[in-house]
Amino acid sequence: METILTVNQLNKYFKDKQVLHDISFEVKRGEIMAILGPNGAGKSTTIRNIMGIIQPDEGSITFEGETSIPREKIGYLPEERGLYKNVKVKDIILYLADLKGYPQDKAKERMMHYLEKFDLAGKENSSVEELSKGMGQKVQFIASIIHEPELLILDEPFSGLDPVSQDLFKREIRELANNGTAILLSSHQMNLVEEMCHRLFMISKGKRIIYGDLNDVKQEYANFKCIIRYDGDQNVFNELPSVERIENEEGVVTLYLEKDVHVTKWLHALPETLNIYELTIDRVSLHEIFVDIATGEQNSEEGSVLQ
Amino acid sequence: MKQTMKIAKWELKKNLTNKSFLFSLFLTPALFLLFFFIPQLFDDSSESELTTVFLKDDIGAYETIENFVEQQPFLEWELVDTELPETDIIKQLNEHDNQAFVHLDEDSLAEHSFTVYTSDSIDSSFMSEVNVLSDPIKELQLERLELSDEQLAVIQAPFMFEVEETTSNAEATGGIEDVASEEELLSKLVPGIFAGIVLFSIVISGMMIFQSASQEKKEKIAEIILSSVTPNELMQGKIIGYFFLGIIQVAVWLGVAIPVVLWKIDMPVMQYLLVPEVLIFLVIAILGYLFFASLFVGVGATIEDVSTSGNFQGLVIMLPFVQFIFFGPLFSNPDGILAKVLSFIPFTAPGTLIIRLSLLDQWPWIEIISAIVVLFISVLLFMRLAGKIFKTGILMYGKNATPKEILKWMMQ
Repeated sequence: METILTVNQLNKYFKDKQVLHDISFEVKRGEIMAILGPNGAGKSTTIRNIMGIIQPDEGSITFEGETSIPREKIGYLPEERGLYKNVKVKDIILYLADLKGYPQDKAKERMMHYLEKFDLAGKENSSVEELSKGMGQKVQFIASIIHEPELLILDEPFSGLDPVSQDLFKREIRELANNGTAILLSSHQMNLVEEMCHRLFMISKGKRIIYGDLNDVKQEYANFKCIIRYDGDQNVFNELPSVERIENEEGVVTLYLEKDVHVTKWLHALPETLNIYELTIDRVSLHEIFVDIATGEQNSEEGSVLQ
Repeated sequence: MKQTMKIAKWELKKNLTNKSFLFSLFLTPALFLLFFFIPQLFDDSSESELTTVFLKDDIGAYETIENFVEQQPFLEWELVDTELPETDIIKQLNEHDNQAFVHLDEDSLAEHSFTVYTSDSIDSSFMSEVNVLSDPIKELQLERLELSDEQLAVIQAPFMFEVEETTSNAEATGGIEDVASEEELLSKLVPGIFAGIVLFSIVISGMMIFQSASQEKKEKIAEIILSSVTPNELMQGKIIGYFFLGIIQVAVWLGVAIPVVLWKIDMPVMQYLLVPEVLIFLVIAILGYLFFASLFVGVGATIEDVSTSGNFQGLVIMLPFVQFIFFGPLFSNPDGILAKVLSFIPFTAPGTLIIRLSLLDQWPWIEIISAIVVLFISVLLFMRLAGKIFKTGILMYGKNATPKEILKWMMQ
């Protein structure tokens, strides 16, 4: 896949405090690349540097190999977002398309298409202040993609959305990626992003923690875990093979398994005396990986790259 | 520049399609006209009240008085020659409004004092109006002295006191000079008033910039806009947009006011308005606008919620009005030391220069040009500073900036 955006060795200081440490990653055409991390990790700062809203102190950002960032080819949905209140929906969308230099007639056509797709048909003449919060978010999303951007940057796109709208946004983001748009999205809700991103960049306190392909990351870090709701003697779990860690809480035990465990063989090792009500076996989530790494439970001081 | 104009167009359109803006656009001149005409309406109603004046004439002056009163258009009197006894008439005055009685007898004539009886309720201006009767009575008195026509003419010719300044052209005769200086005054005053309206209007729309910049923050759209344009383009777009909004405002106001002024006041306003001096007035007004607009756009970007903004920002908003405090002294002495100093302080320069140029007979060109240059340099400086404040301030969410922070941004 062709690389569209390259972020190289980005450093940023606010006063004397370094908020970004050597941040480097790439975004490719047609992929969904996620920047993940808790609040205050440096996600929005990284994105604002890419958008030229703030300038990096060190490092470079290139778009298709060029250092000048063509703003008209980028769509941007910032974390802190809103719309002018006392204007019509169509006016604000067409204005933002105009600022990107996109032809008005094409913008109008695309606007009507997307309003319909997002269940906002007939709302184009409504004033923004008449819209509900969810509708407003949809209008902001439409405005960010109205000019057919090659790169779409979404900073916390799901915050404040209800589950139905979240699914709608996810579907649309996937579709845009399938059609060749490069997507860079940031989120602190890792479980939401886990199911849709191709690659990810985990950041904490301005430093890289993990960077790589989602499947590789999962294989490397996401060991299996087995959750059992049971009745009986809890000491049996201590005797099980390939168990790294046990969390036991009121009849529910979570067993974190070793990396190279053979799942079916391991299941056979469960004692017959154990009375099982419920059993699930799954890989640990990105969220858990993150918490583990960030709190230093797994050995990674510098962070890792999987490529 | 293209992006700047797009933003200017948007700001213009946003306001021109806003109902409350349109409402105030037309309501303001309507209110002004209303305030202008309401006192006149009251005047008219009081003038239309007719006062009945009874004269008991023992000295043979009635006819002269009647002729005289007829020639005075402002006197709303109905004269009645009466022979009734004084007590009867006074009794009648008590029963009616707007009536007066004067007994013109030889004794009073000799004493140079006539007693005037009036109803309880009578037009307030009557007591001053009644003094006009002294002219025809004086005339009668002179006639009785049997003077010759020449003597009468000499005695009756009024004395004139005309003011002549030592610097003015002594060769011109008084009468002609009066007309000339009045024309000269109008030719400066009318463009001055025009420029004053322009300045007032665009300073008002400049205050809307303040609101617009603050709203950009509050509604959190700044970052979306800044993903397409630079902060400077956004700031300049706002300044230009609101400038044209101010011009539209002036056009509407004048469009309403000029026809009314022409109708009510017989003065060739247009003739005085279309003179080269207007250009200088406009330059001053536009520089004044740019100065205050850059101030407002910068400060507006530091405030998210006007109601919680501190004293500092409140003071800045008041700055354009500081010049109004000095209008009194400026009017009384447009060439004094205060006027000269205020011309060089950018906050007061626009208003001061406009007033001075409207009132001064001869323009101190060197002073005017240097004051305009100072104002121009201040505009450039303030635009730069405002740009720095705007760039950082507009993206700071959730709180108003402190003066210390603003100072730091300016130093960057």
